[in-house]
Amino acid sequence: MRAPIGWLADFLNLPTRDPHEIERILVSLGHEVESIEEFSPTFEGVIVGRVEEVGPHPDADRIRFCRVYDGAQTHDVVCGAWNFEAGAVIAYARVGSRLGVDADRPLEVGRRKIRGVVSHGMIASARELGLGDDHEGILVLDELGAAGPDDLGRPLEEVLGLSDVVLDVSITTNRGDCMSIRGLARELAAYWQIPLLDVEPRPACGPEASDFEVTIEDPEACPRFVAHQIDGVTIGPSPLWMQLRLLSIGQRPISNVVDVSNYVMWELGHPIHTFDAAAIAERHIVVRRAGEGETLTTLDGAERDLHPGDILVADPSGPIALAGVMGGATTEVSAAAADILVEAAHWHPPSILYTSHRLGLRSEASARFERGVDPNLSGLAAARAVELITLTAGGIPRAAAVDAHPSPVTSWQVRLTARDVGRLLGPDPSFEESLALLDRLGFDAAREGDAAGVTVPTHRSDVTRPADLVEEIARLHGYDRFPDLVRRGRTGALTPAQAAARRLREALVGAGLTEAKTLSFLGQADLDALRLPDGDPRRRGIRVKNPLREEEAILRTTLLPGLIGAAARNISRGLKTVRLFETGRVFRSAADPDDPRIPHQPRQLAMVLAGPEVDVFAATGMIDLVARVTGCALEVHQTALPILHPGRSAAVVCDGTPIGMVGELHPSLARRFGLSGRAAAAELALDPILSDLGVWEMEEVSVFPPLVFDMAFLIPDAVPSSRLIKTMGQSAGPHLEGLDLFDEFRGGSIPGGYRSLAVRVTLRAMDRTLSDQEARLVLQDIWAAVQGGLGGYLRGGL
Amino acid sequence: MDLEQIERVVETARDRIAGASDLDELAAVESEAVGRRSEIVAARRGIGALLPDRRRTVGKAVNEAIRSLTAAAAARRSVLEEEAENVLLERDRVDMTLPYGRPLRGTHHLLTSTADEVCDIFRSIGYQVAEGPELELAWYNFDALNTPPTHPSRFESDTMYVESFDGEERRGPDELLLRTQTSPMQVRYMERRLPPVYVVVPGRVFRTDTWDATHSPVFHQIEGLAVDSDITFGDLKGTLAHFAGEFFGPGARTRFVPHFFPFTEPSAEMLVWFNGEWLEMLGCGMVDPNVFEAVGYDPGKVTGFAFGMGVERLAMVKHGITDIRHFYDNDLRVLGQFR
Repeated sequence: MRAPIGWLADFLNLPTRDPHEIERILVSLGHEVESIEEFSPTFEGVIVGRVEEVGPHPDADRIRFCRVYDGAQTHDVVCGAWNFEAGAVIAYARVGSRLGVDADRPLEVGRRKIRGVVSHGMIASARELGLGDDHEGILVLDELGAAGPDDLGRPLEEVLGLSDVVLDVSITTNRGDCMSIRGLARELAAYWQIPLLDVEPRPACGPEASDFEVTIEDPEACPRFVAHQIDGVTIGPSPLWMQLRLLSIGQRPISNVVDVSNYVMWELGHPIHTFDAAAIAERHIVVRRAGEGETLTTLDGAERDLHPGDILVADPSGPIALAGVMGGATTEVSAAAADILVEAAHWHPPSILYTSHRLGLRSEASARFERGVDPNLSGLAAARAVELITLTAGGIPRAAAVDAHPSPVTSWQVRLTARDVGRLLGPDPSFEESLALLDRLGFDAAREGDAAGVTVPTHRSDVTRPADLVEEIARLHGYDRFPDLVRRGRTGALTPAQAAARRLREALVGAGLTEAKTLSFLGQADLDALRLPDGDPRRRGIRVKNPLREEEAILRTTLLPGLIGAAARNISRGLKTVRLFETGRVFRSAADPDDPRIPHQPRQLAMVLAGPEVDVFAATGMIDLVARVTGCALEVHQTALPILHPGRSAAVVCDGTPIGMVGELHPSLARRFGLSGRAAAAELALDPILSDLGVWEMEEVSVFPPLVFDMAFLIPDAVPSSRLIKTMGQSAGPHLEGLDLFDEFRGGSIPGGYRSLAVRVTLRAMDRTLSDQEARLVLQDIWAAVQGGLGGYLRGGL
Repeated sequence: MDLEQIERVVETARDRIAGASDLDELAAVESEAVGRRSEIVAARRGIGALLPDRRRTVGKAVNEAIRSLTAAAAARRSVLEEEAENVLLERDRVDMTLPYGRPLRGTHHLLTSTADEVCDIFRSIGYQVAEGPELELAWYNFDALNTPPTHPSRFESDTMYVESFDGEERRGPDELLLRTQTSPMQVRYMERRLPPVYVVVPGRVFRTDTWDATHSPVFHQIEGLAVDSDITFGDLKGTLAHFAGEFFGPGARTRFVPHFFPFTEPSAEMLVWFNGEWLEMLGCGMVDPNVFEAVGYDPGKVTGFAFGMGVERLAMVKHGITDIRHFYDNDLRVLGQFR
């Protein structure tokens, strides 16, 4: 909402014109000021002059020779316009002045020879001055009432009052009433406690009664429709002052009738529409919802398919306007129109919002109707429009408007108690002060002890409850004046799962991984590239109905595509080794166990390690790290899984349940994501890992020395080392302290189908130093178990 | 050996000890001087044969000679040992500026550490941390938050909706959408417990926004909610001003101006004075009575405040980041700058 300070001054005796002070006040009232702009002319050096003589050019029929007096000197000027005679007060562009329809391409006025006569400067048209589109003739200032003989020689911008400061105010969606000069002036008047100088239109109506009929079929869609006929208007340019006002708020002047509609909308906040009365069939307006299959060609020439939700202004022959959004082409007020119908109507805001969004037709009018326009403003707005149209376009209004008002809205009462105010705002302001603040904003409060019946004016449809009134009180009182009290809660402890999540992240960072954040979307191509088998739940992603791009049309079922993509991008940018992880939610096509109304959205942890410094064991090592940090026992079970290299692939198992995978990316998949070398990856469900494991308890340590032995076994290839360790652990008895696998060896003297695995065994008793004899017995037990259970052999003997 | 001879032997031996150039030579010299076959030890053996009055003086001189030569050898030995060690140490010298052995260290994403920082500030004054689902019912994202069914924020131009996950068609409040704010967790949190409530909710949110320097279809917010029997507008102001001081530094001034949100009344926006300008940092307000109704709290018995802030915005302002896309491009040259 653009608000020129000069225009605000129509409604207020401004105590200050300092734009920054006005900005400060508007912001404190909740109206953010986005910018403060100078509205200044695009010309320079143009002054007021008077045509002293005008006569024919000696060598040309279409142009005339003039003598222009500027208050000090007289100049010879040649002019091509015919809309003035001697004595006219005009805009004289002296030699050296600048003109410009737009400020970026100024035209410097010089001394020019035209058909043998030297012209010292020129007499300017409105268009040449950047004051509108009119270039039919020059700007005749005295005819427009804009300047007189006293102004000769004065700068034109000064005479026209052409420099104003415009505040661009952002109006929140609940305050449609502030989408106007009058509405903002009302806020400022409340702040300054000064009267609002309201408009009081008195159109000069003729005696003839209206012969139009207005039928409202849907009073919810249209609670009020005011229609006023004006006969015999002359379409032409609007007066300069009106054009300037419209230019200052960024609206291009078009013609008197259109300009008045816009002017009233900006001034009062009530959109106005005008029809060519002759084009309305049977002089009958019908307001109704659109029927299925109806169409309307709107003012912009587009044929619009209508929808049953749209509200229409129609006549018996069909739709003539899309209510509150855009007029129809057939009833447009053309240059030839003589009899017009002025509409000031109130529309159901959600319907306007629906139609304007559906058709992508957001306009200044729809923006106001969407927020809500005061239905009791329609009469005033129609009268103001009629007054201004007769002033600028002539014509005779019918004796009275047709005012169809099937469901009048009257002001309503809200009961406000002192407690309502105090419990939200504290002791200050007092109830009495609060009611006084409301009074300043136009809320009439009748106090009865600790309560008051507050009457809400109809332009404040956003105020219906005590809390709404409390906001009004707080706003005018000034948010700055409330105390700053720090409100302390009860406990700030993290839950065990939250603490574990932080510890886990810290550990991964400490292990060299960098946290990434990728989008929550995938494309079908990502899922295809993963080569998931048909039944894999990760294939069944939930689709977004209105995705921004097809590559972001599916909610992610795995974090890996995003993370692999990020790794590939980094490598393509020149990095050698990339270690990334992400924690985040994935989305499953299954109900959430806690709330079956929504899909399951488990948290996952994923890692991608790529480059020459990492291998698949860097990834399995991270699984071990996760287990140690969270205290959750995780096992790696070798098995060929999708996404991974079949020989370098394992499930991660927690408490007997697979919760994820770890391994090397399948090379062809890695290539599809743009990774040329080997890359390791893992992805696990976080929720089971981060569940509350309770408090851990310390185990006592022994003060006696350990006995350490190395054992090397020949083990069949099919047996994973984890099984060897498990078997050894189960058979080693109570004094086992550690089993560390430190060597794997194939070939040489090792028979085919076998490999050698060397394990360091540490034994220690809590209560004594173990003897070699005791240790030997333990090793024999281990050996027997490995031989019996795994088909292994001991190398080198005990 | 008479006293004069002893003195001469001692003098000679002392010179040779002092002149020993390495530990081997010193060992040989020491053995020659005070070893079993040395003159002086031989002299001690001969003491018994001397006359009693000489026995005492010569014996004393011999013992003193052995003691002093042994001490001289020990002193020389420690000098030579130290010299030998210094040679070894010099040989061990390395270039300490070589970049070897650096432990690996990644970084936390700035959005994570910023969210943690915000949560920790509120935890320090007794607010718990909770998280909620990203795929939400329209009821939680809109209806329960006093947002009318026709509100423009519900349009597909603002909100991403998803297709059914189980074949069941959902309409109205049951429609499934990607939450556009962390505020739905206000409702879920209150639904499950009685007041008082003091909680902050970090999380990922979604809007139908195309990418540019300040817009992303995915971003992060932190919601806050305090509900108790006696919370006023001053509590909201003071608590958030305290947060701003903790997050931006003690010099951070704050300003509250009226604003509009469907789920708070009165509503406000907090501006923070940072690097010479007032910046809009967060939206807040007193919880709207309709929200209390929606969760089954008696709006006549409790009051509260709520606030929401953008994590990207906080991080961008604090760290001078001008393009939101840096957070999601995952370029390690950028991620590596985080701490």
